Amino acid sequence: MGAMAIRTEGLSKYYGSVRALGDLDLEVAEGEVVGYLGPNGAGKTTTIRLLLGLTRPTAGRAEIFGLDCQRQVVEAHRRLAYVAGEASLWPSLTGAETLHLLGRVQGRVDVTYRDELIGRFDLDPSKKVRAYSKGNRQKLILVAALMTRPELLVLDEPTSGLDPLMEQAFRHCVHEARERGQTIFLSSHILSEVEALCDRVGILREGLLVEMGTLAEMRHLSALTVEATFEGPVPDLSRVPGVGSVEVEGHVVRCQVRGTIEPLLKVLAASGVQELLSREPSLEELFLAQYGGSAGTEDTPAHAG
Amino acid sequence: MQAELAIGPPASAGRWPATVVARQTARKAVRSGVLWGYVFGLYLATQALAYASSYKTVSQRARLAKEFGSNAGISALVGPAHELQTVAGFTVWKCLAVLAVVGAVWGLLTGTRLLRGEEDAGRWELLLAGQTTRRSAAAQALAGLACGVAALWTVTAVITVVVGRSSKVDISAGGALFLAVSVVAAAVMFLAVGALASQLAATRRQASAYAGAVLGVSYALRMVADSGTGLGWLRWASPLGWIEQLQPLTGPHPLALLPIAGLTAVLGLCTVRLAGARDLRGSTFPDRASSVAHTRLVFGPSGLNVRLMRPSVAGWGAGIAAYGLVLGLVAKSAGSAISSSSSLTRALSRLGAIGAEAYLGVAFLLMAVLVAFVAAGQISATRAEEAEGRLDHLLVRPVSRSSWLAGRLVVATIVVLAGGLTAGVFTWLGAASQDTGVSFASVFDAGLNVVPPALCILGIGAFVFGVWPRASGVATYGVLVWSFLVELVGGIVGLNHWVLDTSVFHQMSAAPAVSPNWTTGGALLALGAMAAVAGGTAFSHRDLKGE
Repeated sequence: MGAMAIRTEGLSKYYGSVRALGDLDLEVAEGEVVGYLGPNGAGKTTTIRLLLGLTRPTAGRAEIFGLDCQRQVVEAHRRLAYVAGEASLWPSLTGAETLHLLGRVQGRVDVTYRDELIGRFDLDPSKKVRAYSKGNRQKLILVAALMTRPELLVLDEPTSGLDPLMEQAFRHCVHEARERGQTIFLSSHILSEVEALCDRVGILREGLLVEMGTLAEMRHLSALTVEATFEGPVPDLSRVPGVGSVEVEGHVVRCQVRGTIEPLLKVLAASGVQELLSREPSLEELFLAQYGGSAGTEDTPAHAG
Repeated sequence: MQAELAIGPPASAGRWPATVVARQTARKAVRSGVLWGYVFGLYLATQALAYASSYKTVSQRARLAKEFGSNAGISALVGPAHELQTVAGFTVWKCLAVLAVVGAVWGLLTGTRLLRGEEDAGRWELLLAGQTTRRSAAAQALAGLACGVAALWTVTAVITVVVGRSSKVDISAGGALFLAVSVVAAAVMFLAVGALASQLAATRRQASAYAGAVLGVSYALRMVADSGTGLGWLRWASPLGWIEQLQPLTGPHPLALLPIAGLTAVLGLCTVRLAGARDLRGSTFPDRASSVAHTRLVFGPSGLNVRLMRPSVAGWGAGIAAYGLVLGLVAKSAGSAISSSSSLTRALSRLGAIGAEAYLGVAFLLMAVLVAFVAAGQISATRAEEAEGRLDHLLVRPVSRSSWLAGRLVVATIVVLAGGLTAGVFTWLGAASQDTGVSFASVFDAGLNVVPPALCILGIGAFVFGVWPRASGVATYGVLVWSFLVELVGGIVGLNHWVLDTSVFHQMSAAPAVSPNWTTGGALLALGAMAAVAGGTAFSHRDLKGE
């Protein structure tokens, strides 16, 4: 691991006695792609606004490439680009004027790449911002961020309002950025997006970071789902070590296994198993497990991975 | 596929979600209506009281009536004079045309702000996602505006009735109520004009420009009708002419209320119909949605600021130039007619001012208010950039907060300075065309003299923006209106000097009647600068705040 692109120490934000973010210790290495998950109000946007110096922490500190997020804002911002989920821009400017302005303010634009992005996102830059749909405004700020080829991309629900085709284009851009060694911090509640793009994932709950790790590490903590079909009667699996949540449906049994699968395999082999399916938990299942299934109803990217 | 977040009803929807647009519009319109009701009422009151105390004898009043009763130039500007030998006649002549224009401007700006502005800001989208249709939302907004008018009329009427009871003024309660109706009638019609323009245009700015054009044409028609060229019938072609026909106090003509009510009703109906027939955020007139990129100015935050404010600054500039020109044109005759027994002119002539310069010295108070409005507008625009989230796009890039705010304040200072210079130069042009005999230097200095109070208000606004951002608009306009009212009332009823000193306009000398006091001007500038620095520091250390 190289230097840290993002580092926070005990970063906290309270509004009165309400905790928006509590005691966040976060490290994102250069070149990493990190997903930041949580339901609405969990503190994702609060974290990002603290990293960008738009709000002041109640306690703790944050650094971007070793630069203090409050005191060295301008230097830190030279090296990053940010995309918000809600793009409110100057309605009387055209798309091209907006890109020109934001490029000049940033001080660095890869013009060839910008034109390529405009084509890829199917954007008409001659239109005035007020004539753009929400999705088109979102594409505009995505292009504005990506065209500067920043060392760090901070994305706060960047694909809100994009159609599936454009979401594909976005994923393609993130892959490219990652290959170029750019660091990406992606806050989202679209789990399939995070699962497809990120090396590591953090899960926030009520302002606290409750889980942080690679998907593999997180899966390890969670259970493996096994589905077995038998010719004859279904054996009793509830006593097998490590097995839980057993559900029987005719000749089919579904259960979850923690730890080693060997004891289960032995029992299954002895009972004439006809078909055996096993799969790792999807990010959605990890997420729902973290939230006890209550927060998962609004995002349902049905995944069987 | 991602699931869109469900948007719940806004927190303030309360128990009657179906009328939320009406209530939200009414809340804002009433707040503004009450404030302007005080301005209207106190303006009427001070003019009536000033006349009563300045022109005490019959002969003084007769002289005034003779001088102004038949002055075609002044008639063209503010309408014909009737019964200038009475308090009632003078008050109507002095106030009706002026307050009609002020009311019309208030009406068109409020109408477009609360209809098109709210829609542009996306607030109607949330409301219309519920059970309200576009047509019903427009009707509700009109009902809300009506509440604002009711507030404006009530405050104006109460003050007028109270002042009318004074033995010196002696205006009957009925007469005072009708005077209040006449004074707010223009506001009513132009609220409706603004509401209709909000349906036709694609942006609030465009809507305001359309409504402003209607006001301009109305004023021009009335001006021609009153210029004594035999085109008096044209008065019936102009909404401002109808107001003149009402002739409150001197010869009331309630029938002229018919076209006023009729126009308002027709405009209201068209507003509701058109609102139903177009898309949300769409326009009835075709909108130029595309344009060639003009990148000359959009090189950074300050250039962007200049580009965005150009149209509104041009509008204000034109208003200041026009007002200056009018002041200059009438200065000679107004100055010569001001009775030497007027306590104000006596006070001014003790300082060596006579005639036109004395008149301009008094009239430049309104010029100072106009320029201060430009300054206050800069603060609300600054706050709007933050509140509506556009500032985020700049501050997440290598732009520091202090440089952004300082850039805006520098541009605002230049705009205010240009406003002062415009005032001076155009007033002189008007005056010189009539051989008034006031020197360029004195009028130019008078233009510069209105700059320090405006910059002081700008600084105070910047302070509030830094410390208490959500109050910046209210507080800045509050200081402005307070200062104006204190100065207006203080001139008539000898207020305590501690109260008078809270008015930034009280600190300004009455140039060109007396030469500007650059020391107090400098003190106002220093106060504004200190406030701005404190505000800038606070802004650099606070959270950015949305609405």
